[in-house]
Amino acid sequence: MSSWLQTAVERAADVSDGLALKRQASLELLCDAKWPTRKTEAWKYVPINVWERAELSGATNDTVSAPVIDGLDSLDVVFVNGQLQSVAAESIEGLTLISLSDAGAQAADLFGTIKPDRHLFGLVNDVLATEGVVIDVAAGAEIEKPIRIVNLLGEGAEAHTRVLVRLGAGAKATVIEHYSGNSLSRNTGFAEYQVGEKAQLEHYRFALQTGEAMSIGGCHVELAEHSELNSTLVGFGSALSRIDVDVTHAGSHAFAKMNAIYLLDGKELFDLHSTIEHAVPNGTTEENVRGIVADNSRAVFNGRIHIHRDAQKTLAELNNRNLLLSDRAEINTKPELEIYADDVRCAHGATVAEIDQKALYYMQSRGVSRAQAQVMLNFGFINELVDQMPNEALAEWLRPQLRERFASMEVK
Amino acid sequence: MLSIKNLHASVEDKQILKGLDLEIKPGEVHAIMGPNGAGKSTMGYVLSGREGYSVEEGSVTLDGTDLLELEAEERARAGLFLAFQYPVEIPGVSNLEFLKAAVDAQREARGEEAVSSKDFLKMAREACKQVHLPAEFLKRGVNEGFSGGEKKRNEIMQMLLLQPKLCILDESDSGLDIDALQVVAEGVNSQRSPDRSFVVVTHYQRLLDYIKPDYVHVLSEGKIVKSGDASLAQELEDQGYAWLKEQRAADAEQSA
Amino acid sequence: MTEQIDKALQREYEAGFVSDIESDTFEPGLNEDIIRRISSMKQEPEWMLEWRLKAFRNWLEMEEPDWAHVDYPKIDFQAISYYSAPKSMKDKPKSLDEVDPELLKTYEKLGIPLHEQMMLAGVAVDAVFDSVSVVTTFREKLEEAGVIFMPISEAVHKHPELVQKYLGSVVPQKDNYYAALNCAVFTDGSFVYIPKGTKCPMELSTYFRINEQNTGQFERTLIIADEGSYVSYLEGCTAPQRDENQLHAAVVELVAMDDAEIKYSTVQNWYPGDEEGRGGIYNFVTKRGLCHTNAKISWTQVETGSAVTWKYPSCVLKGDNSVGEFYSVALTRGCQQADTGTKMIHLGKNTRSTIISKGISAGRSNNSYRGLVRMNSSAKGARNFTQCDSLLIGDQCGAHTFPYVESRNPSAIVEHEATTSKVSDDQMFLCQQRGLDPEKAVSMIVNGFCKEVFKELPMEFAVEAGKLLEISLEGSVG
Repeated sequence: MSSWLQTAVERAADVSDGLALKRQASLELLCDAKWPTRKTEAWKYVPINVWERAELSGATNDTVSAPVIDGLDSLDVVFVNGQLQSVAAESIEGLTLISLSDAGAQAADLFGTIKPDRHLFGLVNDVLATEGVVIDVAAGAEIEKPIRIVNLLGEGAEAHTRVLVRLGAGAKATVIEHYSGNSLSRNTGFAEYQVGEKAQLEHYRFALQTGEAMSIGGCHVELAEHSELNSTLVGFGSALSRIDVDVTHAGSHAFAKMNAIYLLDGKELFDLHSTIEHAVPNGTTEENVRGIVADNSRAVFNGRIHIHRDAQKTLAELNNRNLLLSDRAEINTKPELEIYADDVRCAHGATVAEIDQKALYYMQSRGVSRAQAQVMLNFGFINELVDQMPNEALAEWLRPQLRERFASMEVK
Repeated sequence: MLSIKNLHASVEDKQILKGLDLEIKPGEVHAIMGPNGAGKSTMGYVLSGREGYSVEEGSVTLDGTDLLELEAEERARAGLFLAFQYPVEIPGVSNLEFLKAAVDAQREARGEEAVSSKDFLKMAREACKQVHLPAEFLKRGVNEGFSGGEKKRNEIMQMLLLQPKLCILDESDSGLDIDALQVVAEGVNSQRSPDRSFVVVTHYQRLLDYIKPDYVHVLSEGKIVKSGDASLAQELEDQGYAWLKEQRAADAEQSA
Repeated sequence: MTEQIDKALQREYEAGFVSDIESDTFEPGLNEDIIRRISSMKQEPEWMLEWRLKAFRNWLEMEEPDWAHVDYPKIDFQAISYYSAPKSMKDKPKSLDEVDPELLKTYEKLGIPLHEQMMLAGVAVDAVFDSVSVVTTFREKLEEAGVIFMPISEAVHKHPELVQKYLGSVVPQKDNYYAALNCAVFTDGSFVYIPKGTKCPMELSTYFRINEQNTGQFERTLIIADEGSYVSYLEGCTAPQRDENQLHAAVVELVAMDDAEIKYSTVQNWYPGDEEGRGGIYNFVTKRGLCHTNAKISWTQVETGSAVTWKYPSCVLKGDNSVGEFYSVALTRGCQQADTGTKMIHLGKNTRSTIISKGISAGRSNNSYRGLVRMNSSAKGARNFTQCDSLLIGDQCGAHTFPYVESRNPSAIVEHEATTSKVSDDQMFLCQQRGLDPEKAVSMIVNGFCKEVFKELPMEFAVEAGKLLEISLEGSVG
């Protein structure tokens, strides 16, 4: 066992609350767990040793305010260095928004029920996450204001937070997970979403940690009959940035639309693993993942679609497109299909290419400089997915940040 | 204005232009006709600086500036505009954003003041109207999902906004029905002025009924083999390119 | 429909007869002594024995890979006999007339007529029966062209410089568990050398057949196409029906020097086991080719047999402008499991690769495509296109796709596409409405599905492959 995992297990001994049962089970799994190496398929392309090696000084508990998103009127939950700083106090009918430690039974109902146990760092989060938030939306309630969970990570911090969300039948809500920080820190952030019958979840995860910030997290969603998920994930890489997404079609006729974007520069690393489980018939999944990988950075995408024997009439499509901007950058992509039902329509595609030279010439022929044309084309490539975000205020907020990132990416 | 002298150019080691000469004065409209594979499109690409086309010999100047020394965008800023035969689609980059970037870059290069976003939007809308494109097209991705005719009109719209000195229209008539053809021609005609010149590359006489050329040249096997006035186009239309070949063969025999 | 599938699945393995030939067979077991005995039976030079022993020692240190999407009981490597030769082979026949008539009958039953038929077909056959190469036809004609085509055991004696130089040069001894085992115990196989600038005057062919009970077959093939040469090589495989599983772990190495081209085609019809998954061949094969500048290697395979298939014919595109191709049809039915695909390693500039894979799953089988496309940072302007299509017949089977794409060069372009479909009711209805019976309709639709691959096969093989599919699919959809 790695020394870091050893200390995590030791620290876990302190955790005894209403979630003790699950925590104990996860602890047992952790005790037998193997630390990933390059031979571990799920960690094949990621040097995990930086995680262990980093020596953290421990964070100072500064009060930091959450970054403002213009035009977004949201209910904010703010964690600073893993400590809950504030929870929006506004009372809205049908919505329970409460800290993990205060949630009691509501937390126990959800904690660890959707997240699969195969994620090592999910288990770590199980035993170490004392801070978190529970969002419980009553059946039929439509929460108009987006709920934003902000995780700010400062120098030396180690943070383990948990988000538990339940949407009752026919409920509607928007949840934004917003991670930010650029100095040496370590965090695991796992979220579990139980989406009830005919409920609609609009979900965003902005994994905007950069620089030395190390982050391993997950989003795990279970969809009941006729429910809908519309999810957008945006990742900037960092010293180590890894997200596992699992979406399970547990009820038939559910619809999952998942878009993901990653933009990497410098020596950044970003690793996205997604697994879509179609366990029942008549489910639909559309997953579009696009990335731009510049300079010395490395992107990993593993997208798995698993159609179980009973999941007839499934429609599932996965598309991963990548632009590689430098000969020191690297992209490793693996779209996987595992299919056990015959009456399904499944397809996946992956491309790695450079910028469309014809488009570049066309723009130059109109007087736009090569460098600017590259930025515009990069932006356009990504913006196709940004345009699909249902929340215009978020899209407006994101675009200038993307532009800024493109402008700094090395143009060759 | 434009002076092409003894231009030899090739693509992928294949010689396409083999000694092209062409002189165009301000305000003139020249039509270039010729059979498939004569090098008509290549001429446009070489002049506008497309990658992969190499010039072995000859010179091209625009108002005295050596074009061949310039990058593609610098040629555009010098006033050269190529209306593409097959405009490329650029999903995700909106037409408006693209055009604003182009106009800004060109104005800046010419030392002109930038246009405000508001004024630019007005100009762009006006240009759309002129080529009968709904203003919504400005918001869509560049040429994305446009029909053939819409793409051609979008090219002319860009020309209206960029106000180039020299416009090369590469088969801007291909694939157009008669109404669209008129729209394209009207766009071009509205821009005719004593200090702007046009090179109209076409396969057929049809477009020249709407855009009256001052000169007609026949391009064949990489060079101009015959020049004349507008009546040459009609002659070609009536008799085909084969006629031209026969005539040339006869000429060659005589001189031998 | 289910009934018809069942009927089709119960079809007996047509090549499943056992020849009654006296054999010299080693007792089961694997140790250095066995390897020394194999080597001495073959009267090998010392360097060959040393090479085997080194591989064996490596193998002992290695672990059996478990990443493939296949499930089978652990193989007891000590329960296998590593050498079996028909007795009459002791004094090698000088011509076909001297060959044991039983043996020749076996080939005839298999539809591989060694005699006139082959002459007419113009195919030179190096037939491998269990472990010893029986006879090689057409040698003289090939010798005239300077082509060397002989059992590799003979090449060890006659062309030791070539064997020593190239054996293990494409697939290193330690490449993988089964390749290491093969290095230690291989008994025979084909050796081909095409001299500079020579177009091999005929298609070369080897038929493999496993006969003896409890014998593993470990052939070794080495093909070297010298500068500017061309060769097309055909490989066909069958095995008799047995209750026990038989292990087959072959290694094929191809070397295409500058401007050379090798076309390697396989029709694999090893015994797939019975309905309950009893018996059948475990087929763990390592095939790889190395392309030098402007060279081309094309793998085409039609895989319908074996209980377990583990096979990834690959190309290392080392030279600039070299080309790698992989065309595959894999059909699984019953309880068959196939995990097959390719690796295209792009090292040189402007290297090109194409992968077309068609997987057809029926019954309770599992059929996986596993591939790797790697663009190294040196692979400027390289291109790959991959198309993986799966067809499912019935709702008890599985079709899987595991493509790895790794790119480190911005000017390299990789495109991968995969789709899954079934024989649709609409397609069936149309065919039936036009008067076709369901069997014919399915076979036609599946053949259409595989067309891109079949057209890559040499003519004789294409016919055989189409027939094989048709038989395998008999009545699988109603």
